[in-house]
Amino acid sequence: MMAKFRLQILIAMLFLCSCGIASSYGLDDDIFLDRVAPILQTRCLECHRTDSAKGDFSLQDATGFFEEGYVERGDSANSHLIELISSQGDHRAEMPKNGAPLAADQIETIQLWIDMGAPWPEGYKFTYDAKAERTLDYNWWSFQKIVKPTAPSLVGSPNRQWVRTPVDAFVLEKLESNGLSPSQEADRRTLIRRLTYDLTGLPPTVAEIEAFERDKSEDAYEQLVDRLLDSPRYGERWARHWLDVVKYADTCGYDKDKLRPNAWPYRDYVIRAFNDDKPYRQFVQEQIAGDVLFPGTEDGVLGLGFIAAGPWDFIGHVEVSESKLDGRIARNLDRDDMVSNTFNSFCSLTVQCARCHDHKFDPITQDHYYGLQAIFAAVDRADRVYAVDPKIELQRDALKHEIANAQKSLAQLNEQINRSGGQALVKLRARIAAVKVDSKKPEFGYHSKVEARQDSQKWVEIELAQATVVKQIVLHGAHDEFNNIGAGFGFPVRFRVEVNGSTIFDQEEVDFPNPQQTPIAIPVSQPLKSVRLVATKLAKRSQDYHLAMAEIELLNARGENIAGTGKVTALDSIEAPIRWRKSNLVDGIWYEPNGATLKELQADVESLVLNLIGKSGVEQKSSLENRISKSRKSLAQLPDGKKVYAAATEFKSQGNFKATQGQPRPVYFLPRGEVAYPGSILKPGIVPLAAGEASVMKIKPGENESVARAKLALWLTDESNPLLWRSVVNRIWHYHFGRGIVDTPNDFGRMGGERSHPELLDWLAATFRDGGESVSAGSFKNIHRLIVTSSVYRQSSSYSGKGMTVDSGNRFLWRMNRRRLSAEEIRDSILHASGLLNLEMGGAGYFLFQLEKTEHSPHYEYHKFDHTDSDSYRRSIYRFIVRSQPDPFMTTLDCADSSQSTPARNETQTPLQSLTMLNSDFSLVMAEKFANRIESETADRSVKIQKVVRRSLGRYPTDLELIMMDDFVQQHGLVNLIRIVFNLSEFVFID
Amino acid sequence: MAIDLLRRKFLFESAWGFGSLALMDLLNLENRASGSEGTRQDATSGILHHPPRAKRVVQLFMAGAASHIDLFDHKPALEKHHGEPSDFGEKVEAFQNGLGPWMKSPFQFRPYGASGKMLSDAVADLGCCVDDMAFIHNMTGKTGVHSQATYLQATGFQRPGFPGVGSWVSYALGSENENLPAFVVLPDHRGFASNGPKNWGSAFLPTSSQGTTIFPQRERPIRDLFPKSELVTPASHAQGLKLLDKLNRDFATTREGDERLESRLRTYELAAKMQLSAPEALDLSSESAHIMKMYGLDRAGAEYPETINVPEEIEYFGRKCLIARRLLERGVRYVQIWSGNDNSFPRRNWDSHEDLKREHGPLARGMARGASALIQDLKQRGLLDDTIVLWTTEFGRMPSTQGSTGRDHNPHVFTNWLCGGGIRGGMSHGESDQWGFKPLDRENPTQVYDIHATLLYLLGLNHLKLTVRHNGIDRRLTDVHGHVIGEII
Repeated sequence: MMAKFRLQILIAMLFLCSCGIASSYGLDDDIFLDRVAPILQTRCLECHRTDSAKGDFSLQDATGFFEEGYVERGDSANSHLIELISSQGDHRAEMPKNGAPLAADQIETIQLWIDMGAPWPEGYKFTYDAKAERTLDYNWWSFQKIVKPTAPSLVGSPNRQWVRTPVDAFVLEKLESNGLSPSQEADRRTLIRRLTYDLTGLPPTVAEIEAFERDKSEDAYEQLVDRLLDSPRYGERWARHWLDVVKYADTCGYDKDKLRPNAWPYRDYVIRAFNDDKPYRQFVQEQIAGDVLFPGTEDGVLGLGFIAAGPWDFIGHVEVSESKLDGRIARNLDRDDMVSNTFNSFCSLTVQCARCHDHKFDPITQDHYYGLQAIFAAVDRADRVYAVDPKIELQRDALKHEIANAQKSLAQLNEQINRSGGQALVKLRARIAAVKVDSKKPEFGYHSKVEARQDSQKWVEIELAQATVVKQIVLHGAHDEFNNIGAGFGFPVRFRVEVNGSTIFDQEEVDFPNPQQTPIAIPVSQPLKSVRLVATKLAKRSQDYHLAMAEIELLNARGENIAGTGKVTALDSIEAPIRWRKSNLVDGIWYEPNGATLKELQADVESLVLNLIGKSGVEQKSSLENRISKSRKSLAQLPDGKKVYAAATEFKSQGNFKATQGQPRPVYFLPRGEVAYPGSILKPGIVPLAAGEASVMKIKPGENESVARAKLALWLTDESNPLLWRSVVNRIWHYHFGRGIVDTPNDFGRMGGERSHPELLDWLAATFRDGGESVSAGSFKNIHRLIVTSSVYRQSSSYSGKGMTVDSGNRFLWRMNRRRLSAEEIRDSILHASGLLNLEMGGAGYFLFQLEKTEHSPHYEYHKFDHTDSDSYRRSIYRFIVRSQPDPFMTTLDCADSSQSTPARNETQTPLQSLTMLNSDFSLVMAEKFANRIESETADRSVKIQKVVRRSLGRYPTDLELIMMDDFVQQHGLVNLIRIVFNLSEFVFID
Repeated sequence: MAIDLLRRKFLFESAWGFGSLALMDLLNLENRASGSEGTRQDATSGILHHPPRAKRVVQLFMAGAASHIDLFDHKPALEKHHGEPSDFGEKVEAFQNGLGPWMKSPFQFRPYGASGKMLSDAVADLGCCVDDMAFIHNMTGKTGVHSQATYLQATGFQRPGFPGVGSWVSYALGSENENLPAFVVLPDHRGFASNGPKNWGSAFLPTSSQGTTIFPQRERPIRDLFPKSELVTPASHAQGLKLLDKLNRDFATTREGDERLESRLRTYELAAKMQLSAPEALDLSSESAHIMKMYGLDRAGAEYPETINVPEEIEYFGRKCLIARRLLERGVRYVQIWSGNDNSFPRRNWDSHEDLKREHGPLARGMARGASALIQDLKQRGLLDDTIVLWTTEFGRMPSTQGSTGRDHNPHVFTNWLCGGGIRGGMSHGESDQWGFKPLDRENPTQVYDIHATLLYLLGLNHLKLTVRHNGIDRRLTDVHGHVIGEII
């Protein structure tokens, strides 16, 4: 083959030399070196070279270039290469993928060269230096400064009266220039349904629909908009959009998929931010560096839940140390998630593409990328206190000190009493003990096996049949005279209490004073499936150590103890009935000292003691005891700091997962993203958005890590950052219309979508950023109002032949887009129609599954959940979101996958969706409850049917519908009708 | 426009069984956002890139990391040097502390078939199939962390957020039988492996391409297939669907030109068909005694001890294999069977840090019996020719000892095998080194991308061309890697 090619070259060369056919090239010209090679060098080599052969094609040397058969030497018409680089009609040339297609004369040059036999000088090889070759090309719309355009004047337009807002002017101009005209306004029922779902995620009530239909005031629509924007339901709806983008979930994902019991305060923060119409600049700043820029505020810490929102690999962090490769890989991927979450969410820039190589399409180098990683080099995802009062912390320290001092003095005093009390005292005490035992029931409690070492761990656990709302856990110490211990027998010196596998009460750092018979109450803020008491420093028994506990009570909201329904397991137990056994822990029996005899005996002791140490001694003793008990009480009453799962530099170590204490980890340049081959260490930097902008941040050595985050937050929200403002208004537009002005809301780079209305995008971005046109700077609510009061939003979604022919995808908005409700809207609507929706806001997520086996890898058993549990009747945004095992009902309905950023929900129609809507336990339980409610309201069958239809669809049934439904209900009952109504297209679509 | 119509016409009528929902979703997506997010980028949507060798896949995934050197990759050097201090000739980072002495396999190896392939006694049942199987002994991974490694083998990426391999296949090819899901997963009934259902999620592909889980032992093996309510009867269900169809049809009629409303009508028809087809596919009562025995299912009602044991593992894995065969027969495109659950105690997965013989013995014997029956059964029905059987795990295990009888993680080398569907049998591709520590040729290992590229190739798809734009990146199952392994085809 090669010989044949060489021959062809020879012939071609001879031909060229003898005839001089290529008139534009002189004999001395080398077509390859002068004309072809520069094209290949600048436009092809970046992807097709020996060390980066995209599509297995390298053109760095002749062998690579010719062996794949892309070129038929001497015959450009049959050379596939020409096909690849030529555009055909609307079909853009396949190559080069990166950037504009080749110019026509460049293609001709290559054609000519191939027709000449594609001469390639012997041994010629391209050189390529990735770094040097790269010139960052900022010539792309999203990087350009935002200049606020003037709204088109539309002089002479027949539709001028259609224009209500500047938004309409931009839209109308586009419509008309494409030969389209807007659709008529939708009817009132459609409008209120559309608007209520859009702004609150819920349907309007029948009363609201009817009132709006009757309202003849001129600004009825505007009033409706204001009412909806003022509703707390607004924040719940729009926070969900944001949580889709930032990958919020209540578990970690990956192996084990542990619970994050403190993720929800961030979710509630986002809801609140929307409801309070927090200015966007502040909203962004709080999420990146709220701790620095808004010090001392709760939102300043809560916002940092953003950085921690995504998945986290428990094993890669806790079980593998950073000194191992696997540990470093886990941390590299973890920072990558933080970086990409920041830039995808706020800037719609796919910086993560530059982890392994310079970005192929956008001006982002690998250096820039690792500069971004360096910003997050000191933070991890962990629970972080967001609300401590420094005064309270001072009090806490003071009280601990007070107790310790008093205990020391008391111990000295007691020692003195014991020494001088002699046999008389011993005898009295023995009698007291005997009396105590008498008044005690024999079921003492739970008792672990004894250990030789005090630091042996012991645990005992109560597991309920299903997760239940529990407000308080109450620990009752045991009582046993063994070794004269008595009250608080076996009460752990250090311990923690875990709920569903996560610690909620931590007493592992300092000794816990033995509470004796005083109950210890611990508040709970999540549905409780299991509670485990883990003793990390055991109580002393005689020469050995153990854990004992009389009772653990689990009090529900009504103060009833529900622990008795649970099953008790323990690491070990002496199981010595009747006194000690696991089941005694939840038998409702514990010892509370009382009895007259006891009082007399105690009085005897007191008088003896008075003799021994005198009045002043007794006073001193009781004063000390008082001080201790008062201080303990005060200590117990001090509020613990509230915690949020967020970016943190200080937290309690867990295995190999250790806080950096603000010391950034070194971030290396990683060729091809390989952690095993680190290059130089990178300093924190940003992504330049214009030629000449500096990347590396100016940070003094030794500055706190938060300085870099603060700089990033300020840079992101600077008015000169065009990406931030364009990105956010495009998202808002996307959620109102079902499609953004740029239909790739997370990517404004060269691989992203085209803008349908470039001027409108910039007009909205500038208005949102700077204010004006009745919009306050950074106000979501004002921008919503501007958009939804526009005529474009109020259009009917009806079909038009003209529109379908010219713009079947409705890119220019000649009508409103009909949409299917999201998974959350469907679930909330079913609850709403059934009259069961509980609008309680905030707090820990409710479970839609049975939680099992929390001690290792929690099992989230959705199929075992009982949907009659009214704890689950709250809005879907408050459900507990499991990352690795998403709710099957919601997932089938195209709910966002919390493992990745979801800027736009899919909208599919599948048979599994139909099966879920028809047969899921949720649908059926709702149908039954809905039916029961209607049955209790009226006995008239047609009234029942009307009620069902009105509450589900917001309208009366037509006569024909009524007849058909009546027949059906007569045969199969109301439940079956409701089950079908939930499946109506009209129920799940809005026009 | 004209092209669109033509393409649709072609797809609906084509012999590849389109008209499936995968396609409908495809069309819907295209209608919503033509040429942008979430759509297939190659111009040949729904059309094969070249004639296929295989039509369907069954994947056997051993969760917890099955030991190559105790099942399929015979290492005489370990037998010879058993008990001697291990020396890898380089610094080795063990996941835990498994760098004790070299440890020979607790199982004997013997040759099988015309190819003389050495198999351990734990997988002796596969001996009769070796001449149809191609072993790949130089598989290498990227990490020894279960979660990331499982993601890598299951989705091609070592982090969450990417579609499972079965999702890609069913997205590209749809189902051969629209009355059954295209992609079915049979998880270990004791619990999910690392990452749970995210291993077979559709991520950014349409929801219809996600794996549908079937738990044969549950009261309702397929979630929501039937209503669990006494108030809904077959009659009320049938009548209700009629009423629904009428009302939804009226709604669609007054909203001309909205294909979603039309396809929604169809989804209810298909749902009703699935209610008939799926239970039939799961019903083993029509299987002959001979077949039941072959899969180890001839001990109906047997009770098992609490400790891990061979008969129990045979029954559980065998049942999944037989159901898989029935699903494949009925046109399911991709079936994924999992062996091994999460890392709870007592251990019921392949992560044998403490006692390799204790778990690997029963798990491997159960797996080998079921897999062998499946291969033979597919073969006798003529289905093996166009069905690929792929055996995989997240990584291998160390040739050195952990504790006194366990093995630590070995992400550097492990084994996969393939069978049927155009795979050349009776061969081994790639070798591990004498210890089974790393690939013999360290520069040229086989990676999951190569397996996936080969799988797609056999199914008539070019892994470079099957792309979907997501958040600005043209995503592929094989990321930016992958070579078809020509030698095993």
